[in-house]
Amino acid sequence: MRTTKRFFTRNEFYLVIIIVMYSIIVAIKNPAFLSFENFFDLLRAASGKLLLALGVLVVLISGGIDVSFTAIAIFGGYASARLMLATGIDSLAFAFLVSVAIGFILGAINALIIHFFRLPTLIATLGTSSVFFGLMTILVGTKSINAGQMPSSIINFGSARLFEAVAPSGNTYGLSAFIIPVVIAIFVTWFILYRTLLGRGIFALGNSEESAKRVGFNLFLIRFFVYTYVGLLAGIMGVVYVAEVRWVNPVSLVGTELSIIAAAVIGGAKLTGGEGTILGTILGITIIQLLYSTLVFLGLSSSWNDLFVGVILLISVSITSYQQRLKSRRNLTFSD
Amino acid sequence: MGVYQYMQEILITEGLSKSYGGVHALKDFNFAVKPGEIHCLVGENGSGKSTFVKIVVGAISPDRGEIILNGHRYPRLSPIQAIHEGIQVIYQDLSLFPHLSVAENIAINRLIAQGRRWVDQREIKNTAEEQLTKIGISLDLSLPVEELSTANKQIVAICRALSLDAKLLFMDEPTTALTKVEVDRLLSIVMELKQKGLSVVFISHKLNEVFEVADIITILRDGRKVGDFKPQDLDYKTLTFHMTGRKVEYPRYQRQIEDNTPLLEVKNLSRKGNFENISFQLYPGDVIGLIGLLGSGRTELALSLFGLNPPDSGQIYVKGQPVKIDSPFIARRFGIGLLPEDRQTKGLFLKKSVEENISVTLLEKIVSKLGVIRKKIKRLYSIQATEKMRIVVPDVETTVQNLSGGNQQKTIFARWAMTDPSIFILDSPTVGVDVGSKAEIYELIQSFAAKGVGIILITDEMPELIANCNKALVLRNGQVVAELSEKDLSSPDVSGRIQLLMSTNGNNRHSRKREEV
Repeated sequence: MRTTKRFFTRNEFYLVIIIVMYSIIVAIKNPAFLSFENFFDLLRAASGKLLLALGVLVVLISGGIDVSFTAIAIFGGYASARLMLATGIDSLAFAFLVSVAIGFILGAINALIIHFFRLPTLIATLGTSSVFFGLMTILVGTKSINAGQMPSSIINFGSARLFEAVAPSGNTYGLSAFIIPVVIAIFVTWFILYRTLLGRGIFALGNSEESAKRVGFNLFLIRFFVYTYVGLLAGIMGVVYVAEVRWVNPVSLVGTELSIIAAAVIGGAKLTGGEGTILGTILGITIIQLLYSTLVFLGLSSSWNDLFVGVILLISVSITSYQQRLKSRRNLTFSD
Repeated sequence: MGVYQYMQEILITEGLSKSYGGVHALKDFNFAVKPGEIHCLVGENGSGKSTFVKIVVGAISPDRGEIILNGHRYPRLSPIQAIHEGIQVIYQDLSLFPHLSVAENIAINRLIAQGRRWVDQREIKNTAEEQLTKIGISLDLSLPVEELSTANKQIVAICRALSLDAKLLFMDEPTTALTKVEVDRLLSIVMELKQKGLSVVFISHKLNEVFEVADIITILRDGRKVGDFKPQDLDYKTLTFHMTGRKVEYPRYQRQIEDNTPLLEVKNLSRKGNFENISFQLYPGDVIGLIGLLGSGRTELALSLFGLNPPDSGQIYVKGQPVKIDSPFIARRFGIGLLPEDRQTKGLFLKKSVEENISVTLLEKIVSKLGVIRKKIKRLYSIQATEKMRIVVPDVETTVQNLSGGNQQKTIFARWAMTDPSIFILDSPTVGVDVGSKAEIYELIQSFAAKGVGIILITDEMPELIANCNKALVLRNGQVVAELSEKDLSSPDVSGRIQLLMSTNGNNRHSRKREEV
């Protein structure tokens, strides 16, 4: 009884309503929207974003923020593709290995800087974001790799499907293999957050750093995990991204981090830390991806995208902030 | 006697010292706790109690001295070592995780101490349930802790400590935010824990509670130990004498001004859930005390007068004119100043200089016609203010966070004093201030009042109220339950009377719906 009641007061409930209502509007305008083909396309396009957003969720729960993950992702994706071309090793596993290793190292750098210099996480990662990006352009270069040059293992990964069907139009479509890393990442993130003490420590740290220290959590280990985990997911996403777009321009991706953070926040993660759910994050990404891909169905240009994302973000944040204010009013903090 | 000789002390400290920026927070402190003992630690704010607790739990390391826990010597401790030795603390702020569930808040300590990797929600629930039954209380385990009353949060904190088979429990001012009934329940839990062989170090300002539970009382003053006493060898007077190091007799304020046109008049002021039907008049030279427990509505009322917590109904008159105060900006225009309760978070710019902190309310006075700040005048005002308020600083460019509590408080006092407020609201002006500065702040309050300023003084401390106020309103559950005149305040039994008025058990606002005691 109580759990059902609680669900209706939860953020996720409203997000589901928004998604359903929006989908209905789009479907009325353009029935083509309601096809499996389109659904699988959406899923494929959202995969990379969701990988990043899961990392963002973990950072936000820990009470921090990371804006360097897009730089890490493109670093990993671009460097692994370049390395494959240079060495001639045409293997998807190699690509993931290189990209994930880069993600891990760069994430570790973030963690060390944040922990030992006690920097605000936003400032630290804003700095490292530029550093990572600069490092990549110096070490790896800035030349883009087009589809013709791209190693075939990556191209194949991008077009791999778990199963296929034929649309009435004669096109074949199917479930992209991207779903595999995504499902694994969702499961691993869930398991860590809810089934390990480390995960509870991430929540505890975000709730109150002082209290977490007092009960005996090792804050360094927690932070180290959080930022390397983001790096790791960004590394995976780097390869997925390169496979998705089939060519890579090293200046792409950087600059989209705020929309990913927005998705996690729309999903109920708080910038103040200690709160956030995987389901919410998935719904947040769903909303962002829906807007991104379906404005054309509504006959709107993609420039409307930012506007809608912004409006939804503001509304969801305002609601939570207002609820927070009511709560703190009861505790006699008057911040307005 | 016999048994004790063979029983090992749980905790012994030898020559513990810690100083901050040349100031001794704790000096050569020797302390010992035996099994099953309730050891009370008393001392004024700043006497070193919290520094001591922080050292023993491993939050900070001492400059000198050793800690011996169950026979093991530690020159410094880590929090995990302290936990393994059976030390648990219930902090004044309770240190809970507001968004996590009751069950998890209780069980998390044990999981960490056992070095667990994986968590099992069912086990967490069982652990929590087990601890709650130990003290005979039931709570909704899945509720986030932020939704509990203060008293129940305290229960969660106690259960958390118990979940680890604590041998020694530190309780830092555990009763501050509780109603009388809740305090009684807590004290009986403490006595029960003692019966089960647990030792408790009980830190409290409320001396009646200390006498009620203590087996032994250790008194701290200015970072040094005054001595260990048996409760039967002390009474209220000797105890305060040892705590303060002198017979504290603050001069009593007497209103001299004869002008009886009210500066501020409040009629039937109400705000739902905060306070109801508050009416009083503040005359020039009045120091009205507002006293009541946390949640009695006193701070809420003060904030309403300063425009931070707009009332729902009722009327405020300033100098006879009906006014609506809905922001601090407006309040200032009517000559109202507020010294906030928590100077560090709500008042001071900690990282700025004394000069910046003082001059911030004086901007109109120190800017030129073009709106540019005239630095010389700013400096001049600040220096004047530090002299007037006797703020002890090398120069006005000193950063505020490096000052002692007393000087910090005087700085923020100076900020408002320089604006010549006609109505001055002081919320707990001497919290965390040493005795010397306290006397100076009282002197300041009284000299303001003597000049015709109307003062509203919110305080927890009875001697503070009695020394400074010529009127007092006692609040309980958002209502004025008594208005005390100068004559009432000068009667010798007034402290006891106020205590009774504040805490008389009635339909108090801390809900205890969820528990079945």
